[in-house]
Amino acid sequence: MMDPHRMIIRLGIGAGMAKALRFETLRDELRGIALTFGLVAATTAVIYAIIIWIGLTRGSVLYLIPVLIASIRWGIVPALFAAVCGVIASAFFFFPPLYSFEIRDPQEVINLALYILTAVVVSQLAGRLKRQLELSRQREIDLAELYAFSRRLAVAFDVSDIHSAIEDHLAAVIQRKVLLFAGAREATSSGRRDSAAVPEGVQKVVNEVAAGRREASAGMTVSGEGGDAWLVRPVSSKSPELGVIAINFGRESGESFDEMRVRVDNVLVDATATLERLGVAHAISEARMRAQTDQLREALIGSVSHELRTPLASILGAATVLSAAPALRDEKKLQALVHDVRDEAERLNNDIQNLLDATRISSDGVKPHAEWADPGDIINSALDRCRRRLADRKMVLNLPSDLPLIHVDPVLVQQALVQIFDNAVKYSPAGSQIALAARARDGRLIVSVTDEGAGLTSAEQAQIWHRFARGERHAATTSGSGLGLWIANAFIAANGGKMHAMSDGPGRGTTVSIEIPVTQAAVPQLESDADE
Amino acid sequence: MNEPSPIVLVVDDEVQIRRFLRTGFELNGFVVHEAATGAEAIRSATLRPIDIAIVDLGLPDMDGAEVVERIRSWSSMPIIVLSVRSSEAQKVHLLELGADDYVVKPFGMAELLARVRVALRRQSRAASGEPIVKVGPLTIDLSARAVMLNGSRLNLTPKEYRLLQVLAQHAGNVVTHQHLLKEVWGSIHVHDTHYLRIFVRKLRQKIEPHPDSPRILVTELGVGYRLAQSGQEGEGAASWAGASAPAKADG
Repeated sequence: MMDPHRMIIRLGIGAGMAKALRFETLRDELRGIALTFGLVAATTAVIYAIIIWIGLTRGSVLYLIPVLIASIRWGIVPALFAAVCGVIASAFFFFPPLYSFEIRDPQEVINLALYILTAVVVSQLAGRLKRQLELSRQREIDLAELYAFSRRLAVAFDVSDIHSAIEDHLAAVIQRKVLLFAGAREATSSGRRDSAAVPEGVQKVVNEVAAGRREASAGMTVSGEGGDAWLVRPVSSKSPELGVIAINFGRESGESFDEMRVRVDNVLVDATATLERLGVAHAISEARMRAQTDQLREALIGSVSHELRTPLASILGAATVLSAAPALRDEKKLQALVHDVRDEAERLNNDIQNLLDATRISSDGVKPHAEWADPGDIINSALDRCRRRLADRKMVLNLPSDLPLIHVDPVLVQQALVQIFDNAVKYSPAGSQIALAARARDGRLIVSVTDEGAGLTSAEQAQIWHRFARGERHAATTSGSGLGLWIANAFIAANGGKMHAMSDGPGRGTTVSIEIPVTQAAVPQLESDADE
Repeated sequence: MNEPSPIVLVVDDEVQIRRFLRTGFELNGFVVHEAATGAEAIRSATLRPIDIAIVDLGLPDMDGAEVVERIRSWSSMPIIVLSVRSSEAQKVHLLELGADDYVVKPFGMAELLARVRVALRRQSRAASGEPIVKVGPLTIDLSARAVMLNGSRLNLTPKEYRLLQVLAQHAGNVVTHQHLLKEVWGSIHVHDTHYLRIFVRKLRQKIEPHPDSPRILVTELGVGYRLAQSGQEGEGAASWAGASAPAKADG
């Protein structure tokens, strides 16, 4: 539901991760050094082999290979280690005096200088390459995130969806805890719950920024308790509706803090561009207004309908007493008037019932009380309820006597059927035929009601399930709230079923059908069990 | 018929409702007492001879259900409840508390009168020990344990007969699923509604002229069943049977 001050906590890499990162780097470094050592040893073996089999005497230049590999793969430290190891190994194994670390040949000094130079230059180059690669990979991830973000926005259903999408996106990209505060003016009851997530000082600044009392379009740093630094800034300086974010940077300081800040700026520029392109800011303020209007409307409809029903009971009751009164028995005209009062009161009562049902559906949802029910009972009872309304239609029933039992709330299904009958009567001429057919097929029970009435255009077919849907062709001639089929559909859906409407076109009748799953296998043992 | 006028107690806090009920009942030969609160209703029911009580559920001083319970604790007079809320669970609850029947507001006078007559007839039959219940073409002789359709005896299984018997004992009034299941299958089966569905279907094949649009053994969705009595059939059910049965296309 709408919760304008919601704050969702997304945990990225927290403050404690920095230490872990450092530890990880050290481990990687050591691994590189160990591997380098292996490489140097392998190179020594290869040089030995070359000297023995081919007879070369100066193989020490091959020690450049481990230096190159180490500088490309593992960085400067293992590379320098490889250089030093190489020189030591060649001094030991290949330069006279053999098997001593003594250095006599100036060639060895030159070798050492050459190796070190190679190590430094190549590892720098490789490092730069690697950073660029990482950067472009990060960029790729950012783009993917951004794409996912815009996709999520595109399917966002209400404001809170949009807010959590923004929050998730930032948290995913920045890898820090991100909180989004939207609509701080409504920060009363619902916001409290989450307030513990940010230190008080930060919350205060957030509120001030959100209320526009403090300028922070570039973002401002607030230090919370425990020395954590928080960055507070509006998501967009142009559209305050998008809210204010607070990001926990942990204890990072100096350079990496600035780096993060730049990154946040970049991400937000991308994100707001997406949001603006989709017109999200406008949509949010509109949706919020609509939600409030909806709530008000539900409450109003609920209480008004209840108040209206009470006098209706007296009106309808009194009309039925009058219609049977001896004084009016022979007064045909007066009788007709009394019947009008009764019929109209009944119609009004149905309309009110629809409004009540509609508010029930949208405020609490429908909670079916399922039991095993006979479809025939449900259909007959719906027909009974519509008896008077169906009186001047030719009713044709096709009701097999061996329909399977269904596990539903029979009253909801009956009410859905009543709505369908109501619609069939409303949009078909007096004297025309309304056919009801029920059949079980492929594990489903299908009940269809076919009239010979106004039919549906393809546009109407698409929108008849909408709330307050009224066909334009009939708006002037037929009364109705446009709630009937919407209610029917909600009731059937609550019972795990589906509804369909078919029509060959305007003026060619409509078939509305209900489809309910039959779990025949689930009916516990029947006859043998029950009749001993 | 020189029976004394039946006395009805109308319990409702709304004066307009009481007024039309009074007029409606008086036009049909009843004597009417009124009560606007639950306390007044209980006092009235103890002080005067009352044949039947009509109790609204939304009373200012106590819940209508409480009124039903209190009256039922010392009297077997028929009680019919007026409910605005059409919750089936609530109806079942009221019936279990001892209400004989219910009518959902808004209702027509004819509907209420039919329910009232049925309840009164059942009361007098119970008082006189009359063993024969007639519903249209169907005759149930509770003492001889015999069921006749148009004069010829029907062959029912023991469970089918038991089901029909319980309904006949309350002829005209609704009997809840739970009550029927308990009486016919025992209290461990009170939630096995499917037993009831299957047996009612079989029973209807035997006792209903048109089993697919039953007029004798009538379903009250979500609540229970009732054995319709002539007072209820007359109002429109019969016209339905006439309208729908010939048009029925079997298959």
